Amino acid sequence: MKKILAILTMSVALMATTTAYAGDYPERPIGVAVSYGAGGATDFQARIVTMVAGNKDILGQPIYIINKPGAGGRVGWNWFATEAEKDGYTMSAYNVPHFIAQSIKGGVKYSADSFEPIANWGADPAVVVVGKDSKFKTMSDLVAFAKANPGKLTLSGAGLFVGHHIAALQIEKAAGVKMVYIPTKGGGAAAMKAVIAGDVLAGVNNLSDAFRAQKAGSVKILGVADLERDKKFLPDVPTLKEAGLDVDNASVNFRGLMVPKGTPQAVIDKLSAQVPVMFGHKRVAKRMKAGGSPMKIMTRKEVQAMWAKRKSTLAELLKGL
Amino acid sequence: MANVDYKKVQQTLAAAIVLIVAGIVAWLSYTREPAEAFLFPRYISIAFLVLSIWNFVRAATGMALVGRGMDLGSAIWLAPGLAIMTIYIFWMAKYLGFYVASTLTFIILFSIYDPSSHTSPRTWLARAAITIGFMAIMYGLFALVLKVQLPRGLFI
Amino acid sequence: MEFLSYFGNVFEPISFMLLLGGTIGGLILGATPGLSPTMAVALLIPFTFHLAPHQGLILLGAAYTSTIAGGAVSAILLNIPGAPANIATALDGHVMAKKGEGAKALHLAFMSSAVGGVIGVLLLIFLTPVLAKWALAFGPSHLFWIAILGVTVIGTLDSKSFVKGLLSGCIGLWLSMIGYDDIQGVQRFIFADALTGGINIIAALIGLFAIPQVMEMLSRGRTITDIDVITVRHQSLLASFREMISNMKALSIGTITGSIIGIIPGVGGQIAGLVAYDQTKKISRDRRKFGTGHPEGVIAAESANNAMVGPSLIPLLTLSIPGSPTAAVLLGGLLIHGIFPGPDLFKNHAAVAWTFIDSMLIGQFLMVIFGIYIANLAAKIAQVPRSILAAGVFILAVFGAYSVQQSMGDVHVMIALGVGMFFLEKYGFSAAPLVLGLILGPIAESNFLQGNLIAGAQDGPAIYFLTGYLNLFLISLVILSICFAFWTTLKVNRLIALSKEAE
Repeated sequence: MKKILAILTMSVALMATTTAYAGDYPERPIGVAVSYGAGGATDFQARIVTMVAGNKDILGQPIYIINKPGAGGRVGWNWFATEAEKDGYTMSAYNVPHFIAQSIKGGVKYSADSFEPIANWGADPAVVVVGKDSKFKTMSDLVAFAKANPGKLTLSGAGLFVGHHIAALQIEKAAGVKMVYIPTKGGGAAAMKAVIAGDVLAGVNNLSDAFRAQKAGSVKILGVADLERDKKFLPDVPTLKEAGLDVDNASVNFRGLMVPKGTPQAVIDKLSAQVPVMFGHKRVAKRMKAGGSPMKIMTRKEVQAMWAKRKSTLAELLKGL
Repeated sequence: MANVDYKKVQQTLAAAIVLIVAGIVAWLSYTREPAEAFLFPRYISIAFLVLSIWNFVRAATGMALVGRGMDLGSAIWLAPGLAIMTIYIFWMAKYLGFYVASTLTFIILFSIYDPSSHTSPRTWLARAAITIGFMAIMYGLFALVLKVQLPRGLFI
Repeated sequence: MEFLSYFGNVFEPISFMLLLGGTIGGLILGATPGLSPTMAVALLIPFTFHLAPHQGLILLGAAYTSTIAGGAVSAILLNIPGAPANIATALDGHVMAKKGEGAKALHLAFMSSAVGGVIGVLLLIFLTPVLAKWALAFGPSHLFWIAILGVTVIGTLDSKSFVKGLLSGCIGLWLSMIGYDDIQGVQRFIFADALTGGINIIAALIGLFAIPQVMEMLSRGRTITDIDVITVRHQSLLASFREMISNMKALSIGTITGSIIGIIPGVGGQIAGLVAYDQTKKISRDRRKFGTGHPEGVIAAESANNAMVGPSLIPLLTLSIPGSPTAAVLLGGLLIHGIFPGPDLFKNHAAVAWTFIDSMLIGQFLMVIFGIYIANLAAKIAQVPRSILAAGVFILAVFGAYSVQQSMGDVHVMIALGVGMFFLEKYGFSAAPLVLGLILGPIAESNFLQGNLIAGAQDGPAIYFLTGYLNLFLISLVILSICFAFWTTLKVNRLIALSKEAE
C-alpha cells in the first residue's frame, strides 16, 4: 500500500511539473477532429496539410486525424465545443460558412465564439453543375427555367446550412426564384452522383470535386459562386456575378484549424505561428495541387476577420428562414 | 410445472418492458416538432408498437416461449462481474487512465471467475503474468500500431 | 486482355512486398474489433504519400480486401463481427466454432472469400463499362426500395421467432433515428449527451455481439463444464476445399448477390453478407439448419462480402463517384498522386489502373494462404479458459469501441446496448436483425425524404416511387420476400405442431 501511495504522489508531482512547462508544447502527438467522414474533401485535405507536422522545424510532433461525422458537421463540432480538452492536444478542422450558419440557425452547442482559429489552409468555392447532357448551357438558361417553373428546379447539395445550401439560397434570392434544394446524406460525393445520374436537374458542389467530374466528362460547370474566376482550374467558367446574379463569396468553403476557447494563450501563439508554416510547406503544396484542392493560407488574424464578416453576412441571409 | 409459469412470468415481463418502450417512442414521435423530421420515426414507431402488442399478447398467453430466460444462479454470478464492468467504464477508465484501469479490471474479472485455487501464490503469479502479457499486446496494438490516444489518467 | 500485360508490375520487389504487407496487416487489423475496413485504409493513407502511385494503391487495395476477410476471424472465434460485413459470418460461423469446427469455419471463410473476391475483380475487369451505367440507374426511390427489401429480410434472418425477429429489427430502426437527423439537422430522441452523435454502427456492433457473450460467460460462474471448452478439431485443407465445392449453390448465390449489391452506390458492403445469407437460406434445402452451425451460412456470407469489393470500385474508377466510404478513402489515395479517376483513367494511367486491379487479383490468393495460416494460430484463442476469455474480450471491446472515434460516449453506448441485448437475447430477441435495422434505417429514411422532395418537384410521390421498371422490379422482390417469409413461418409452425402431436 505504501508503495502504491508513493507512486501516486510521485506521478501527481510529475504531472504538476509537466503542465508547468507549457513551453515544451507539444510533447505528444496532436489530434485533429474532422467533422466529416474519412474520404470526404475536408478529411482528405486535413490529412495532407498536417502530414509534415512531425518535422523538427514545424511542431516536432505528428498530427493524427479523428473522424466524427454526422449531421453536416454538427456532431463533431458539438463534441469539440463541449468535450474536447483545452490543452492544445485536440484541434478541429473548421468549415466556414458551415459551422457559423448552423450556429445562427440554432440547435447546436457552439458558435463562432466557442472556438479560437489557428490558421486557414484552403478555400473551395461552390459551383453550379448540371449533367453533361443537360438542356441548360448557361446560368441564364437555368434561371429562366426556374422562373418559368417555380418549385420545379431540383438542386442537390451536401446538406442543410453548409456552403452549398448557402449558395443555393443566395441564387434564389438574387434571381427571385423558388427552387427545390435537395440535401443529400453522404456529402458532396452523393450530391454529385445525383447530378450525374440525372436524379436532380442541377447541383451545387465543391469546385475541386466538380472540376474532377468535368474532366471525367460527366458534368458541365455553369458558374462559380465567388468574387472572381478561378484562374488555375476553371478560367473559362464565369462567376455568378458575371452571369447577372448578385451572389458574393459568402458560400466559399474555407477550411482551417481551430482550438476550443480556453486553450492557454501560449499554446495558441505557438500554433498560430507554426501552423501557417506547415500549410505552406512545399510538399504539402505539391500534394494539394495534385489532388486539385485549391489552397488559401490565412493567418489567425485574417481568419478572425473573415469569421466576423461571415457571421454578419449569414445572419442577414438566414434571417426569416 | 411451476418452472414453466416462472418462465412465462419472465417472458411477459420482458414483453411488457418492450411494449412500454414502444409506447414512449410512439408518444415522443407524435408530440415532437418539426413534423417533417419526425415523419419517418412515426412510421417506425407504429410498426414498433403494433409488433410489441402482438408480442405481448403471445407472451402473456404463453404462445411463444422463445429464449431460456434468466435463473437466479446465473444472475448471482453475473452481478459482481457486471458491477466491475460498470465501475471500470464509468469511473476507473476516466480517473486512472485506460491502461491502469484495464489492467485492474482484467485481473479482477479473471480472478473472480477463475476456477483454480485462490490461496496458492503460484496461481496468482500466473494470473499476474497473463494480465501483463495481455495488456502488453493491447498496448502494442492500440498505442504503437494504431496510434490511438487513449484517455490518460494518473499513470499513463 | 490488356490487364494480363501488367501482372509483371505486381511482382516487382517493392510492389510485391507492399502487397504482402498490406494483406497480412489487413488480416490482423480486420480481426481487431472496432477497426472497420474504412478506418484501416484511412490509417494507411499517410504511408502512400511516399510511394509511387501504383504502389500506394496496391497497399490500399490489399488492406481493403484483407480487412474484410480478416473480420471473419473474430466473427467466428469470438462472435464479434469486426465490421458490418461480417455479421452474417458470425451467425453460423461462431456456432460452428462452439461445436469444435472452428478450423473448418475459418478455412471455409477464407476460401469462399477468395472465390468471391476473384470473381468480383474479374467483373471489374471485364464488365466495367456495362456495370457503370447500371450503378447510375439507382436513384433515391430505388435505394429506398432496396432498404425496404433489406427490412423484409429482418423477419426471416432470425430463425427463432418471426415476431421477435421483426421486433428486433424495429428496435434497430428506432435506434438508428437517435441523434441529429442527417437531412434536417433536428435532434431526435437524445436522452443522454453520449447520444447526440447518434449511435455509431461499429461501436453498436461490438456492444451487441461481444457484451452478451461476455455476460453469458460470467453468468456461468466458476464451474467448469464441457460446453465451455471450445476444442478446435484439426481439419485438412483438402476436406475444407471439398466441402466448399459441394456447397456450390451457397457459393454462387453469395458471389452473385455480393457483386450486385457491391455496384450500387450508397448501400455498399454493409448489407451484402446479410442479404446473401438470407437468400441462400431461403433457397437452401437445409433451411432449418441455418443458425445452428451450417457451413452454407459461412460460405454465402463470406463469398458475398468479398465479391462486393471489386464491383464497389466500378463507380469510383469510371465515374469518379465513390460508392462506399472505403472507396472514398481510396479516391483520396488516387488524388494525392494527381490521378483523377474517370473514363480516361484506363487510357491515361493504364499502368497504374491495371497494376492496381491485377494486384487485387493476386492479393486474393495471398489472402487465402496467410489467412489460413493466421487462422490456425488464432484458433488457439478458442482454447483459452473462459475466465480469461471473458475478461479479454471485454477489455478488447472497450478499446475497440473507444478507438472508432476516440470517444468515451461510444463506449457508454456500447456497454448500454450490450447489457440490453443480453437480456433481450434471454427472451428470444436477436442481435443480427437489430443491427440490420440500425444499418438500413438511415438509408431508407434519407432516400425516402430525398425522393419525396424530388417527387414534389415532378409528378408526385406515387408516380416517383411506384412507376418505372426498376421500381416495379424491386417492389415485386419486396412482395416476394414478404410472402416467402410468411410461407416459411407457417410451414415451420405446422411442423412444430406435427412434432408435438407425434410426442
